[in-house]
Amino acid sequence: MMGIDLAAVLGLFGLTSAFALVALVLAAWMCWRIADKAGLPGWAGAAAILLTLTGIGSLVSLILLWVFAFMRWPRDGGVRLAAVGAPAPASAGAPAGAPVSPALAPPAKALADRRGWTLAGGGVTLAFDDGRAAYTLTGEGSGAPGELVVSDPSVGRPHARLLTAAGRIGLEDLGTPGGTLIDGARLLPSHGPRDITAVRVIKLGNVELALSRT
Amino acid sequence: MPDTAYYMLSWLLGIGSFVLLMLAVAHVVVALVLIIPTWRICVRAGFSGAWSLLHLVPMVGSFVVMAILAFGDWPNGEGKPVAQRS
Repeated sequence: MMGIDLAAVLGLFGLTSAFALVALVLAAWMCWRIADKAGLPGWAGAAAILLTLTGIGSLVSLILLWVFAFMRWPRDGGVRLAAVGAPAPASAGAPAGAPVSPALAPPAKALADRRGWTLAGGGVTLAFDDGRAAYTLTGEGSGAPGELVVSDPSVGRPHARLLTAAGRIGLEDLGTPGGTLIDGARLLPSHGPRDITAVRVIKLGNVELALSRT
Repeated sequence: MPDTAYYMLSWLLGIGSFVLLMLAVAHVVVALVLIIPTWRICVRAGFSGAWSLLHLVPMVGSFVVMAILAFGDWPNGEGKPVAQRS
């Protein structure tokens, strides 16, 4: 009787061990894939799980989980490089977490474009340059500096904000009923400032203004 | 039933409830230690961080989260940096 009980207990223990082994292998496999997707070597993910087999216990695996969650992933570096179209850095194959930003050189100062812009249409011509960081497009002047007045009832008071920076200009709608269009596309206040350096026509209310360099 | 049996039964019920409560609290604390980093991993991968709450499901929850991360396509991109492939 005692022998049968002992066999049953040992059998149950063996079954539990088998389940634990399958779970461990499954977890190691999945961690391999997760590490690989983050751009890290897959074996590192699997090893983090298999460490639980050693005497250190599962505490190290837990710490490694936290480290993995908050460390810099090589995948993120790649996305940033792809976004700006930079060439492959000389440090390709460097250890995970190595900074890749030195590959991005600052723009050459010789290329600075000091020309101004002109907004023309609806009987008005507005000239401005990047001497000011921001201009206000309004339907009625109040005497404040940096105002560009487009006298039309459909233009808000103020209507939109023009931002200039290093040869580029941005436009931000201030939420007037007349609305703002950029090359026919609606600009909403929730969009924030949009780069209109390459835009040809903006529309404030019913007034269409052609953008050109001077 | 004698009074002592009632006393014994109420003691057992009380201790049992306390043990169950402590087990539940311990489970939530352990799950929380897993949920915080997993939440961040899910968000960085492009999934909803709420998937990490599956750690609260005993036994299989953690495996489901890992399976989602391991076998799902990461909306925020995956793999080695583009510049380093070639």
